[in-house]
Amino acid sequence: MIALLAVGVVTLGGLGLGLFGVRLARSTSDVFVASRAISPWWNAAAISGEYLSAASFLGIAGLQMKIGASALWLPVGFAAGYLALLLFVAAPLRRFGAYTIPDFAEARLEARWMRVVGSLMVLVIGGFYLVPQLKGAGLTLGVVTGAPYWIGVAIVAVVVTVVVAFGGMRGITYVQAYQYWVKTFAILLPACLLLIHLGGLPARAALFGAELPTAPPGGLVVQLDEATSVEFPAAARYVIDGRAFRAPAGAERTLPAGELRLAAGTVVPVADDIPASAGRDWSRPVAAHGRASPVFVFSLLLATVLGTMGLPHILVRFYTNRDGPAARRTTVRVLGLLGLFYLFPVVYGLLGRVLVPELYITGATDEVVLRLPEAAWPGLGGELLGAVTAAGAFAAFLSTASGLLISLAGTVSYDLWERVGRQRAPEPADRVRRFRRAAPVVVALPALLALLARDIDISVLVGWAFALAASTFCPLFVLGIWWTGITARGAAAGMATGALTASAAILAGLMLDPAAGSATEALLTQPAAISVPLAFATMVLVSRRDRHKPQRVREHMRALHVPEALGLEPTRRA
Amino acid sequence: MSTGSTRDELASDSEVGHVYLRQLVRAQLLLSLTALLAFGGLLAALPLAIAVLPGLQRVQVAGVPLPLLLIGAPLFLLFLAVGWLYTRRADALDTQFAELVEERRP
Repeated sequence: MIALLAVGVVTLGGLGLGLFGVRLARSTSDVFVASRAISPWWNAAAISGEYLSAASFLGIAGLQMKIGASALWLPVGFAAGYLALLLFVAAPLRRFGAYTIPDFAEARLEARWMRVVGSLMVLVIGGFYLVPQLKGAGLTLGVVTGAPYWIGVAIVAVVVTVVVAFGGMRGITYVQAYQYWVKTFAILLPACLLLIHLGGLPARAALFGAELPTAPPGGLVVQLDEATSVEFPAAARYVIDGRAFRAPAGAERTLPAGELRLAAGTVVPVADDIPASAGRDWSRPVAAHGRASPVFVFSLLLATVLGTMGLPHILVRFYTNRDGPAARRTTVRVLGLLGLFYLFPVVYGLLGRVLVPELYITGATDEVVLRLPEAAWPGLGGELLGAVTAAGAFAAFLSTASGLLISLAGTVSYDLWERVGRQRAPEPADRVRRFRRAAPVVVALPALLALLARDIDISVLVGWAFALAASTFCPLFVLGIWWTGITARGAAAGMATGALTASAAILAGLMLDPAAGSATEALLTQPAAISVPLAFATMVLVSRRDRHKPQRVREHMRALHVPEALGLEPTRRA
Repeated sequence: MSTGSTRDELASDSEVGHVYLRQLVRAQLLLSLTALLAFGGLLAALPLAIAVLPGLQRVQVAGVPLPLLLIGAPLFLLFLAVGWLYTRRADALDTQFAELVEERRP
């Protein structure tokens, strides 16, 4: 009940700020890029607020609990992505003065059809990235209220569409900055209070030693909503709805829906896709096999470090900086703000392994941040802290989903409808109307996919979006900004190669079920290590052989790199 | 020979203006690649170090294995430091370029 209230307050707070911004959002420039008059600190908080998604708030701790400490490379890559963005993209892209990624693609490569290519990739990557946000929302509302999964998905989809359609970006900048602090407070406060309450990390043997997670003193009672197949890593006795059973070590059983009881100290069974590992293996960030293997870690780091610059909802935010140096200063602040946030998810993963082992049985480890406070601190204290994490999780979906939706609706209404559709020069009111019409359209498909993707980890879904972004927009930006030789055909060929390689690998991984723990599995699950170099190589090679070079390369290089201090005429762009 | 200032050369995208600009772009790219090598090298070395030195796992600080602590706060501080140093240097290159170009104005 308290949790529901907290979720309501955060949501209404966001809605209020968004709607308040309406009065300020008058011209198109307002709607799309908040008039470029926002200070680096506001911008940095807004970028961080938009970036810290369900994957950061729920997914890191959930994946850590599931596969172990190797999940902690995820936040490292998420943060390092901004360093790559700072080094290669931030200032030049701001100077270039294009509104959206498709704007950049068309203007830099001097080909109208590049706008279509760019737009399609924005829709794919952004849509992909929306799915885990909506999944997180369905999950959170389910935990908080017991409501069916689809209701949470539907509610966040509607709220976000309303905020975006009526607030535009001006509202969103302040909403996003507010959401950053809500999220940071919501992850930091319960983590610290729980550690103090527990007097440090409990049961170290299960965390760093030889033990597997066991039922706590007092035993474990789990309500299974549906039949669940599990493996018993050690011999165990268990009771379902009053009937007692025995399982030898290594037994695989399908437990029927009902109430499962385990006596204190029983090693908990693990759901299908969860490896049972003793604390010392679980706490190892790099190991010989599977998702802790160096191959996988490198591929994941590559995807996250290079993928960040290709996320459509993040880049558009850099245009709200006053100039190139301001874009740099904003990015450095983002590195600090993200570093602060990412110190805390690990606490939930560690405590969750000991205190909410029932998630190993149900397989719903993505819920650990939400369920931990009440398990660790029975009574009002835990309930209040649980409300805080639920509110923070909701802030995470709202902010990322609304940022994504702005990019997607903007791409449909502006890049495709207006620019490519060769509409006559529209009235500002027409533009805004198109934007508002596009918003509910682009949210529909990701919402449907979210209903289907219920059993896929949030972090895995997000990892794919990053792999796609790193294999398409990253080479486009890096080569487009720093290399005069890039051509439209080269860029398109490179992006297509990257996107196809990455998607083919992910699909193959889903359908072929490769040997668990093999290097093949690692690369199919996270294909960036292959698809990114391939995309870069294709882009360079095809550009070199292409005779249709862009005509105004000098003009573009000037627009990208000449400091604003010189006061040259800004290049004209939409 | 054009009679305009370097700034005008740049504005009109002449060959002379772009000889200057190419130098700036090259210097900025070199700076970015250096910074990338610094943080990318350390970032890539860490998983390798943890993989080939399993003994690290037994070193505990406050009861927590060292590798777990290494892939948190120290890395975020490293990113922040590299970002901050890079920004100072990149802004300085921009300023130098602006001054150089303005100076040549007749």
